[in-house]
Amino acid sequence: MKQEFFAVDLANCVGCLACSVACKDRAELPDDLDLLRIEEREIGVYPKTDLSFRVIHCFHCAKPLCAEACPSQGIIKGEDGLVTIDEEQCSSCGECVEACPFDAIVVRPNGEAIKCDACIDEMAKGWDPTCVRACPMRALSYGPEDKIPFENRIEDPDFDDHGIGPAVRFLCRQ
Amino acid sequence: MPDNDGTIRRIPFTCSLDCGGRCELVACVRDGELVRIDTPPDRPDTVDMPRLIPCLRGRAQKRLRSVKERLTSPLRRVGPKGSDQFEKIAWDEALDEVAKRLTDVRDQHGPEAILHLTGAGSFGGRGFSGGACSDRFFSHWASVTSSFGNMSYWCAQIANQWMLGGTDDAIDLAALLDSRLILLWAMNPAENRLGGNLAYFIAQARDRGARVVLIDPRYTDSAILADQWIPIRPGTDVALIAAIAYVWESEGLVDADFMASHTVGYGTYRRYVLGSDDELPKTPEWAASITEISAETIVGLAREYATTKPAVIMGGWGPQRTRYGEQTERALITLSCMSGNVGIRGGGLTHQGRHTTGRIGAGSLTSGPFAPVVKMHKVTWAQSILDGSLQPAPQMAYIVASNIINRSASTRANARALEQIDFVVVQDQYFTPTARYADIVFPICHDLERPDLVSGRGDLHYNEQILSPLGEAHTDNWVFTQLAKRLGIRKAYTGEKTEEEWLEEFLKSSDLDTETLRSKGIIRTQGGPRPHLAEFRDDPVGHPLKTASGRIQITCPEAVDNGLPSIPAYVENEPKDADAYPLQLVTPHNKLRANSSGHANPWLQRLEPHRVWINPQDARNRGIDPEDLVEVFNSSGAIAIPARVTERIMPGLVAVSQGTWYRPGADGVDMGGCANSLTSHSLSPTGGMAIHSERVQVRRRVS
Repeated sequence: MKQEFFAVDLANCVGCLACSVACKDRAELPDDLDLLRIEEREIGVYPKTDLSFRVIHCFHCAKPLCAEACPSQGIIKGEDGLVTIDEEQCSSCGECVEACPFDAIVVRPNGEAIKCDACIDEMAKGWDPTCVRACPMRALSYGPEDKIPFENRIEDPDFDDHGIGPAVRFLCRQ
Repeated sequence: MPDNDGTIRRIPFTCSLDCGGRCELVACVRDGELVRIDTPPDRPDTVDMPRLIPCLRGRAQKRLRSVKERLTSPLRRVGPKGSDQFEKIAWDEALDEVAKRLTDVRDQHGPEAILHLTGAGSFGGRGFSGGACSDRFFSHWASVTSSFGNMSYWCAQIANQWMLGGTDDAIDLAALLDSRLILLWAMNPAENRLGGNLAYFIAQARDRGARVVLIDPRYTDSAILADQWIPIRPGTDVALIAAIAYVWESEGLVDADFMASHTVGYGTYRRYVLGSDDELPKTPEWAASITEISAETIVGLAREYATTKPAVIMGGWGPQRTRYGEQTERALITLSCMSGNVGIRGGGLTHQGRHTTGRIGAGSLTSGPFAPVVKMHKVTWAQSILDGSLQPAPQMAYIVASNIINRSASTRANARALEQIDFVVVQDQYFTPTARYADIVFPICHDLERPDLVSGRGDLHYNEQILSPLGEAHTDNWVFTQLAKRLGIRKAYTGEKTEEEWLEEFLKSSDLDTETLRSKGIIRTQGGPRPHLAEFRDDPVGHPLKTASGRIQITCPEAVDNGLPSIPAYVENEPKDADAYPLQLVTPHNKLRANSSGHANPWLQRLEPHRVWINPQDARNRGIDPEDLVEVFNSSGAIAIPARVTERIMPGLVAVSQGTWYRPGADGVDMGGCANSLTSHSLSPTGGMAIHSERVQVRRRVS
């Protein structure tokens, strides 16, 4: 099975939210929903303040809890490595929303559960996913494991992957 | 433009909000409807020509175009000024009334009784922005009253004029990759100018080994890019600089050769720093008590800055919007000279703001015979109306592309001033707080609904008209053409040209590849300017500055004329009402808005709630818990706003980001949290806006 990875360079992500707005626009979401959000983490006490931003969306996990939770087996981990929701099967029960530890699934007003689809239509044209192209800091990337930009970076030890193999690598300085 | 995506046309355009960046977007249009804003997927991304990737404000333009506050028909006020009671009227009726008022006021009171106010809205279109059209219109009709001054960088400009003879300190961004030390001196590119690659090149420089130090009272989003944060008490930068200079003098770290050959008056500053005359050496300990930066930190910064080359100071404009902002900028220039970095690639001092260097030439609208009477100060215009000093008493105001009560200091006073004027016209894309004080409101096209040229930094953009205007909105040029017809100056105003024909004319004056410009939406040039002052550094005699001495003036007679010390010495801002208002206030730009543009966008409002930043110590002392609704108040006004209790701001200071829309409640408290509800019309000695020298108190709001 093929598996590609999102990589987020925490050293250069300034939390600007351009990715979030670009994603929302592409997905034609209502005003109050987003598929990609940024969690701001403030650490320490003044003047030893520290800060990080973490981009959160569906990470197409190796062991997707959403798929396990779906009573109609409408969520599938595909051969392309992507986790997809079959609209036809979705009964709007919301079990997947509850099951996802990253809160990466939302429900449209019409009841349809929706999440990041890795911009498969755009990638078919040879483009990077929308969020990657939208990043003014070039802090986002998507590709095979051996293309993860590890130069001068290590994997963020603080990220909790919930033991379900999210296809994301958060990178930070050593 | 070929249909290159099935049923969707992808049309390039650029966003022209007043942020300073000019970024490439793509409008995705199906059957005449905008379905999405995207970026060009196929642009190369190199150091010489990096992609111009838009920030969230540009990305959210689809929603902004159609927010409920968007104006879609002419309106006439039917309720009291400041209310939202307006009725729709026909264009002809609205235009007839405005034309009659213009004529009546000119004939009865003279044209000077008409105020022309514009600026800082969607103004990036170089051809047909609101201000460009209204300037041309009035110049062909009569000499009305207009304003002078600059709210953005007045003191920086003055200091540059006095010391350097007026130069553009913009640098080639790629030069940052040669920097070994970058001092972000209250510059916050991650929030207020993300488009344009400023933050990106800082990050790149850091990955190549540069150290980045942020000197700012707040731990801004740009702090992500910094190795060290040095919080500083606002308004005390000059003291920090004097202490750095003291360390350098004491340890022999000044570039004395450069000071001797390229500057005038350094000896006087040196005596000040060493305390030769006042017996007060400007030691790190002295500065520590003023700046709240420890002496140890100051010494460390001083040594690092002196010994790491090239080192660049990237100056934000916040520190010069203070009571003695001229001194801040003069001191920064002086320090940069002493460090020996002037004129060196990757070194020096830049604000990266004025955008003049490397621009691609193209024509623009010309002026007619009637020059405006320039006598209203951009900061204190309302005060001069309220105290009667603006004469003749204004009878009419014509406000174009400017949410002026919101964006200029002291919003409540600005609203009162507009209430005093008999007849007010507001011409805008949105029903802003300023529009509520209008008698007639004209609805204007969004940038996607009109053609124009837009100037960037070393690039020129072409926007075709992509969408039909929403409702009955028209372009600014159309409105002034209709008024010109009624006033008998149609021929003079239009020059018998359509907007498209004007654009042809603007491009004809240069040798640009207009085919490429129109099909790609952009023409770019490679590389940026030479290092600021490079020629002068190499040959100060052959390339003298336009100053009295031809050299850099550390002592400035103009400063003395304005009641300031001749050297960039620290002048304490003695706070009035410090007991009643113990907290300092800063009103930074944030990433959701460009001034007040974009405020109405629900996509963005949701991403970051408007809150006052307050340190936990200050919150605790006032019984304020996170997210409590609080009142921030002083003698200018009061706002109601939730508290963000955060370690990202130093104690003794609160921050309210500027640009949210003024919305006074029944008790007069601004429920919209407009930062300028808390600012006054106070000025620096030469007329800079001193809004970052305000003080406030904060208390829990009892509801």
